[in-house]
Amino acid sequence: MNQPRTYTRGMQRWWLRRPSYRFYLLREGTSVVIALYGLFLLAGMAALAVGPGAFETWRGLLFSPLSWLLHLVVLAAFTFHAWTWFKVLPLTVPPVKTRRFPRGFTDATLNRVALWAWGVVSLVILVAAMRGLQ
Amino acid sequence: MSQTRTIVIECLRFHPETDEAPYYQSYEVPFTEEMSVLEGLQYIKDHLDGTLTFRWSCRMAICGSCGCMVNDEPVLSCQTFLRDYHPARIRVEPLAHFPILRDLAIDQTDFLAKLESVHPYLIPSTGDDPGDQPRHQTPDQVQDYLGYAQCINCLLCYAACPQYGLNDAFTGPAALALLHRYNADSRDAGKDQRMEVINAEEGVWGCTLVGECSEVCPKHVDPARAINQNKIASTQDYFLRFLKPRGRR
Repeated sequence: MNQPRTYTRGMQRWWLRRPSYRFYLLREGTSVVIALYGLFLLAGMAALAVGPGAFETWRGLLFSPLSWLLHLVVLAAFTFHAWTWFKVLPLTVPPVKTRRFPRGFTDATLNRVALWAWGVVSLVILVAAMRGLQ
Repeated sequence: MSQTRTIVIECLRFHPETDEAPYYQSYEVPFTEEMSVLEGLQYIKDHLDGTLTFRWSCRMAICGSCGCMVNDEPVLSCQTFLRDYHPARIRVEPLAHFPILRDLAIDQTDFLAKLESVHPYLIPSTGDDPGDQPRHQTPDQVQDYLGYAQCINCLLCYAACPQYGLNDAFTGPAALALLHRYNADSRDAGKDQRMEVINAEEGVWGCTLVGECSEVCPKHVDPARAINQNKIASTQDYFLRFLKPRGRR
């Protein structure tokens, strides 16, 4: 039997079709910002290895107004990415593990617990880093 | 008797014998409060245009035949109501990401092949024959797979998945959810046979957790969860095979 002729519509501008697609792209896009910032920190370490002069130049970059602005953008991207990461976290946890928790321990609970743990750990690291700088 | 109002239904039309490409055709459809989009389409077919083609069967969200896009949202047309869109017009299109056979009917061949590839049936271990006795399962063991067993193969999840739209080699949400349904069943011993599908680039790793499959599922199957739990299983399998003796990989 002959296969009937079919018509397949393309994926042109697929992200415009649903708001959730744009949210998804934003979520994935922020990971690029995180990767770039990781490279920037790596450049700082490389500068440290090269010598005190190079490191001071790299450190000097941090104090320009543009750097402040970029750091605010990066902080926003990090926060958004972490928030969405914890939002999808419950999907990756096998139910075998969650069943040992009391009844009523839902995805939302797991998400909240993880967010709090993240907040506390971040705060501890921040305080420790600030102390180290003094 | 409820009041009759009129709504404009804009349908995507495509007849392979006569049309080069799909086009939209609008119909003015009188409807009452309780009429679904499917009943609107049936009104068109019965009273306005007998050439309109669409699939349907049970009219109660069980058969999974009447899936279509309503205003870019994959839905079962039998449980989507015209009253929720009035007075705006609605646009009804075949499920996204699939080849269009005729009007609102899509070609499911690709999905059916994928469904077959995941061995969607219980594979008992050799020597495990309970005879004429029933197999016992605890309520907890049933809960492990019951949610994933609700799939009606309506393909709304594929129409919601941009990864499948961009690359149709991806095994996709429903097939992978059904794979997980059998892997999670205590009566099944077929994990090894399904591991190849999971591990493939087109398997669970084709998913980037857009998450829309679970949002649109009319049976709350949650394919996104099934797929992402198997990413852990796939990672474990990747590392554990180095520890297994040769010949058992």
